[in-house]
Amino acid sequence: MVVGELAHERDVIIIGGGPGGYHAAIRAAQLGRHVTLVERSLLGGICLNKGCIPSKILTQSAGKFTAFQDGEIWGLEGEAISVNLKKLNQYMKKTIEQLRAGIEALCRTNKVEILEGSASFLSEDRVGIEHGDRFEVFKFKDAIIATGGTPKKPLWLKEKSERVFDIHSFAELSETPKKLLVYGSDYIALEIGMAFQALGSEVIFILDEGKTEFDFDHSICRELKRMFKKKKINVLRNVDVMDSLLAEDHVVLTLESEGKSETITGSQLFISASIKPNTDQLCLNRIGVEQCPAGFIKVDHRSRTTQPNIFAVGDVTDGPALAVKAIKQGKTAAEAIAGIKSESDFHFIPLVAHTQPPIASVGLTEEEAIKMGHDIDIGQFPLSANGYSILTGQKDGFIKVISCKEKHVLLGIHMIGSGAIELISSGITALEMAARDEDMIFPNYPHPSVNEGLLEAVEALKNKAIHMPLSKKEERMKV
Amino acid sequence: MEVKLHDIGEGLTEAEINCFLVKPGEAVKADAPLVEVQTDKMTAEIPAPRAGIIKEFKVQPGETVSVGTTILILEEEGQAGPENEEEAISMGAAFKPQQELLHSFAAFKGKRVLASPFTRKIARENGIDIDNVIGTGPAGRVMDEDIFKCMASAQTKPVELEIAFSPEHLEKTTTDKGIIPFRGRRKVIAKKMEKSLSTIPHCTHFEEVDVTELISFRKELKSLNQNISATAFFLKALSICLNEFPVFNGELHEAKEEIHLHSEHHIGMAVDTEEGLIVPVIKHVSNKSIREIHAEMKRLTGKAIENKLTEKEIAGGTFTISNVGPLGGSFGATPIIQHPQTALVSFHKTKKMPVVADGDQIVIRSIMNISMSFDHRVADGATAVRFTNRFAELIQNPKMIVLELV
Repeated sequence: MVVGELAHERDVIIIGGGPGGYHAAIRAAQLGRHVTLVERSLLGGICLNKGCIPSKILTQSAGKFTAFQDGEIWGLEGEAISVNLKKLNQYMKKTIEQLRAGIEALCRTNKVEILEGSASFLSEDRVGIEHGDRFEVFKFKDAIIATGGTPKKPLWLKEKSERVFDIHSFAELSETPKKLLVYGSDYIALEIGMAFQALGSEVIFILDEGKTEFDFDHSICRELKRMFKKKKINVLRNVDVMDSLLAEDHVVLTLESEGKSETITGSQLFISASIKPNTDQLCLNRIGVEQCPAGFIKVDHRSRTTQPNIFAVGDVTDGPALAVKAIKQGKTAAEAIAGIKSESDFHFIPLVAHTQPPIASVGLTEEEAIKMGHDIDIGQFPLSANGYSILTGQKDGFIKVISCKEKHVLLGIHMIGSGAIELISSGITALEMAARDEDMIFPNYPHPSVNEGLLEAVEALKNKAIHMPLSKKEERMKV
Repeated sequence: MEVKLHDIGEGLTEAEINCFLVKPGEAVKADAPLVEVQTDKMTAEIPAPRAGIIKEFKVQPGETVSVGTTILILEEEGQAGPENEEEAISMGAAFKPQQELLHSFAAFKGKRVLASPFTRKIARENGIDIDNVIGTGPAGRVMDEDIFKCMASAQTKPVELEIAFSPEHLEKTTTDKGIIPFRGRRKVIAKKMEKSLSTIPHCTHFEEVDVTELISFRKELKSLNQNISATAFFLKALSICLNEFPVFNGELHEAKEEIHLHSEHHIGMAVDTEEGLIVPVIKHVSNKSIREIHAEMKRLTGKAIENKLTEKEIAGGTFTISNVGPLGGSFGATPIIQHPQTALVSFHKTKKMPVVADGDQIVIRSIMNISMSFDHRVADGATAVRFTNRFAELIQNPKMIVLELV
């Protein structure tokens, strides 16, 4: 590798074209900066090419498949349908290409220059970009690191196998797994596990790192438990994986729980573990950008690193590996570069799972609110009491609202059930506006719709929900 | 303990007390800003050396004090325990340097600000730390008015500002876009402009200058690896003109009934910075080569942008230029003279224009407009026209400048 003497002059260089990177690029361009976006693989990053979008296409397919099976209720008759993952993968490919073309077009119209290659810092204002056997040096005024992260391999997994996959590789599956072991407890584990169950797989969840619950409010976990029982999904809690054996046509895990050892066999294993930041190639030591012990780049509310002209956004920084975080940080960084006093605040970052039914959660959970010393009220409304949920036949789930008893300020909203992801936005806005219960009770809600479920959940804080039997209200109050 | 005006900058011996950011009797945390002081060069906040209670002020806002003067008395508290915390969170304490700490994501599970995003933005854009503002809205919510009050409490004349921010006033003219504090550099600029316009009868003369040759000359130099900005040439040419028309490098002393002609050409150069206009001065332009002028310009502009100019570097100007060309847009302006100087020239955007050349042919030339404001008490329009004619002549054919080099 030869470092050339001549450096190309650039204004803002963004490393990584995932959601954080491209949002930063377009926002910076909108604000009059000249932007160069460096991507080593495909624009759209993990989110578009391997993560969010492919997994959502899978969960959509699972949802449609389930809906089809209920067709007769709706007076829709026909021959039974079957699952063809190869066809689904074609659709996935087409959709991803279409979305990527959209991003490319947006970059083009915003005059964002796109360079292919891997970037590494040479100094605080220079970056080297390697592409094949070419290596060029670029001088920049400001830079944004948006290189993302990579799922960590658990220690007990010693070798590679086609039978083991993660969020980056599940789209390579060409047929529905017979018996799928899902290791993890986050939204990705839930989405993949529940989707394949709907598509015909037998699914067993193994909660990671000896956990006893999924990463949601306990009421949601309880609802999941109930649904899993119905769907015959098994969940192994409080277990440690001691060893793995990857055979040609199956996977065997050795588990240990309370001193007892057992083995579990599956046709495939899906792993959703924590991620590690992609910083290895960046040569951060050359520019004095500080990292926390786990390797994530330290940033402030403006996404600025310890080096004033260098910013970092998304999975390469601390926090949940969510595109919503990367997008916000990306825009904030671009605005900070353009001299605008912006900031990111993630008190009310939504956590969603596109499962069937979907889960959406924002703000404090019941446990967190109590732990922080809040004296709380809880309003919970079952969707089985919402007219629209009944007519659509999607009665599973509920909406739960947590508020401060003394000041009536809302603290958190948690939902599971059809429409939850669309509905959570009202909750996020309310929380950001520091809404109190009446602020959500007063407005008019469209009828009939799941929206009314949110209204009744807030009304339930005051035992005023219309469609709730008295016994349920009292039951809830006892909790 | 006595809180004194310490040395806050190179060559600084005195400063004006702008305003107090605290009130007597108020409890302050260590590092909370106490008082804002102002020099020609900058505004600075003097922080509390330790936590304590403000006992009394020793100086008045508007007073100019020298380094070492006691500004206020801070009574130390025994131990600032958590029970004092509430007290310490005062209006004034909300004005703190916007130095954000690197945080771990877990911090977002902690205390939240009870305010709408819009209100938070107003606070952010006005340098108010909303964490320290006591909300008067429902359930302790921080309202827009709380932020405005907090900003007003840091002003010199709270009574006037209360009127400005009274609800009736707010209803008539909405301040949705936020409020910019009129203090520090902005206030200094305002004072200077007001003084200049109210004492000097301004007259502005416009001229077109053909810079085609200068552009090609600069290109030629660039091919020899000599990158010299056009402004450096303008400065040299102006210096030559000032030699020939020294009245524009003069200063009127009305009381003495004299116009003093300066022998040195110390030319101020307006620089647009985040904090506002500042005019560093390039000294002895007549004795400097164009290359030296260029280097000096670059150095001063850099320091101006970083807000690091020293007192010396902005003092002593005898003439001023303003190059607004790079900002684009305008074809002329009526710039305000830097009092007590006599004239100022501003350079505007260069445009390619059709020009009728010798032999009645239309050719494309690069034309720059200039505006020259001058003190009509000191000089007349005809002199100004002759001055700009000479300038245009030198720039139209930059080789002419060579003839004048010493």
